[in-house]
Amino acid sequence: MLHMKSMAWAAGVALFVTTGAIAQDKPFAGVELKMLGIGDTSVTRVAPIVAEFEELTGAKVQIDQFPYPGLIDKIVIEASSNSPTYQLLWVDSPWVGMLGEAGALMDLTELAKRDAEEIGLADIIPIQLQENTWQGDLLAFPASGMIWSVNYRKDLFEHPDEAAAFKAKYGYDLAPAKTWDQYRDIAEFFTRKSGEMLAGEKLDKDFYGTAQAYSRVQGAITHDYFPIMRAYGGDYWDPQTGLCAMDGEPHVKAAEFMKALIPFNPPDYLGLMWDLRTGYMERGETAVSGYWSVRTVRLTNPAEAKIAEKGLVVGYAPSPTEDGNPQPTYTGALSFGINSKATDQQKEAAWAFIKWATSEKLMRRFAEDGQGVSQFRKSILSDPALQKKYPYYKLLLETQDNARRRIFHPFYQDAEEIFGVELNKYMAGETATAAEALSTACAAVNSRLSIFSVEQRLRWIDDVPAKVLND
Amino acid sequence: MTAGAGSSYIIEGPAMRHQVSRNRRIAVFFLLPAVVMLFVTTIYPMLYAGWLSFRNYDLAKPFIPRIYVGTANYAEVLTSQPFFHALVTTFKLMAMTLSVQLVLGVGMALLVIQKLPGMALARTLLLIPMMISPVIVGLVWLFLYFPELGYLNYFIGLVGFEPVPWITSTKWALTAIAIADIWQWTPFIMMGTAAALQSLPAEPFEAARIDGNSRLDVFLHVTLPQLKPVLISLLFLRAIDAFKIYDIIFVLTKGGPADSTEVISLYIYRQSFTFWRMGVGAAASFVSLVIIVVLITLFFRSMQRSQSAQAR
Repeated sequence: MLHMKSMAWAAGVALFVTTGAIAQDKPFAGVELKMLGIGDTSVTRVAPIVAEFEELTGAKVQIDQFPYPGLIDKIVIEASSNSPTYQLLWVDSPWVGMLGEAGALMDLTELAKRDAEEIGLADIIPIQLQENTWQGDLLAFPASGMIWSVNYRKDLFEHPDEAAAFKAKYGYDLAPAKTWDQYRDIAEFFTRKSGEMLAGEKLDKDFYGTAQAYSRVQGAITHDYFPIMRAYGGDYWDPQTGLCAMDGEPHVKAAEFMKALIPFNPPDYLGLMWDLRTGYMERGETAVSGYWSVRTVRLTNPAEAKIAEKGLVVGYAPSPTEDGNPQPTYTGALSFGINSKATDQQKEAAWAFIKWATSEKLMRRFAEDGQGVSQFRKSILSDPALQKKYPYYKLLLETQDNARRRIFHPFYQDAEEIFGVELNKYMAGETATAAEALSTACAAVNSRLSIFSVEQRLRWIDDVPAKVLND
Repeated sequence: MTAGAGSSYIIEGPAMRHQVSRNRRIAVFFLLPAVVMLFVTTIYPMLYAGWLSFRNYDLAKPFIPRIYVGTANYAEVLTSQPFFHALVTTFKLMAMTLSVQLVLGVGMALLVIQKLPGMALARTLLLIPMMISPVIVGLVWLFLYFPELGYLNYFIGLVGFEPVPWITSTKWALTAIAIADIWQWTPFIMMGTAAALQSLPAEPFEAARIDGNSRLDVFLHVTLPQLKPVLISLLFLRAIDAFKIYDIIFVLTKGGPADSTEVISLYIYRQSFTFWRMGVGAAASFVSLVIIVVLITLFFRSMQRSQSAQAR
């Protein structure tokens, strides 16, 4: 019914525009939209130019930007309101299950199919659309596509003294790590104290082998732990029961590996959130750091990262695995969704905004301006000129052929918070073993899930293929 | 209306009843806005929280039936290890802050009542922390404690010491919170104590001095006993406030690292606005309310005993 109404709206708008039946030539003149967004690249690039959208369509868009911690709280409150303030909602892909099961987001499947050519549906990396689905319905549209990858100081890796010293110490060539053991060796090798030499220069402050997030705030530690856990072969849920399965052997190995990296991290590791930890690489103060590519884009922009200003060279590599054999890339999507409680007119205007803000034209413009967004469009990622400008584009493109989406469960926020605290306690030495921390966390998650039927739980972990791609 | 003795007038009969009735209407008229405001902002939310505490109410997951669950939420809170951990952390923090605030506050009060040049200005400056919003206090201390760039570690480094992981270590985080709270609320104890000191009768002090007692003896045996009721009042007011501490912790550590600074209010916040389990959060709020009521009762009993002892 909703789709019918949207279609009718679109048809009406098209009719007015093409026939010039009204004096007003802007289809959404007088419509006001508000977006609840994040203050990060998927929004900060487009926010300063929303006036251009108003010029085109007449719709006025106001984007309110908030830090990631606490943003989901605002979105949940907004979604539970019967008279919403925000029509456009910024969505991190793991939230899709919770918001989808609550009916908070409009299904965009029909609109995306209707406008497939205009939005360049075939140009979008399929996993980035899948990331935004719940039970096969497309609930948000990618504004930035992410992979979990490793950024490293290429200038250090290529320094002859460092390369020779590394080979002498570890018996193999210094290169981006393919296994977690190699990653640990590299982190250990480059951890230096103030006064020691690094690439022929005396350090005036401590240099860290790696910088990972160990903070419990908003489950920041889980954002580092989950990709490592998956790379060790661990999964989130038991496929037979739909209950938490994050306390098995691969999970314990992953947690122990993270703990083993602590000596090579900055001393404030327990408080390292995403922005603080990426700051170390952005200032060139760490040798390697695994993170979401959403902030990798900052590393080539001197206005956002000192490392670019200093002229230091950053390299980009896939995230390691346990045995060095490739595993499905850990992906994520930062997207724009439409509040299901918005009016039909607002929904149509919001969809027009999403199409404009995520269009190939705008994405290319950002990339050419030097303010790239971690991309989800094949045409941009495969452009040779842009690949030269942004070396990580090639990595983003190639690694997503074999990829698997992040956690998308309706109880994601519970799992993130519970595992965040328990892993943080383990890293702080408050819990003796990884097994104890993980089984405590799993028991807490299961206490919430066990009240539901097995059928319900299995439905929640079923990654139904996106209808927008398959029907 | 009849003229009474002297110049006063006494209203009697129907006229008086009319006047009383009119006065009551005026009183109700003036009280009504306050009563409505109290109902809307305090009584209704409290009743609603009471209703919520007996229900399974998840704000983020409307697909979970929002049904009556009896006392299950209370049972969960009272058997929850994290709740008791938060309770213990709250009392630890209260012990750290109140003890230091009491000693420092009394000491500062003794200093600021001296008739020395600049004391009036000093008194005003010392009161400033108390007037700042706790969120701002949290942000100020965040800048001071910040691991790599904070001013405190900068100065510590200047004198040759290793930087202290103030808010990123389980050993230091609670102390860091306590320091910020002490900085903000010691002036409260100082202000109350200074006012009490200035209102003490001069005779016992003169008698003690004539008897040749030292200044320490005078303080311990004359000043302190007279200050006791005031100090107990100030401490209990602070204790109730310290029990509810939230803002500074939220800004500085959000309960971490690990669970080292997770106090009762943070536990309630997490239940209500991270897990969205409004029923459990409401039940935890009521349990903490009972604890505060017990504290207040103990306070009043202690006050009564103190007053009885003084009267004897």
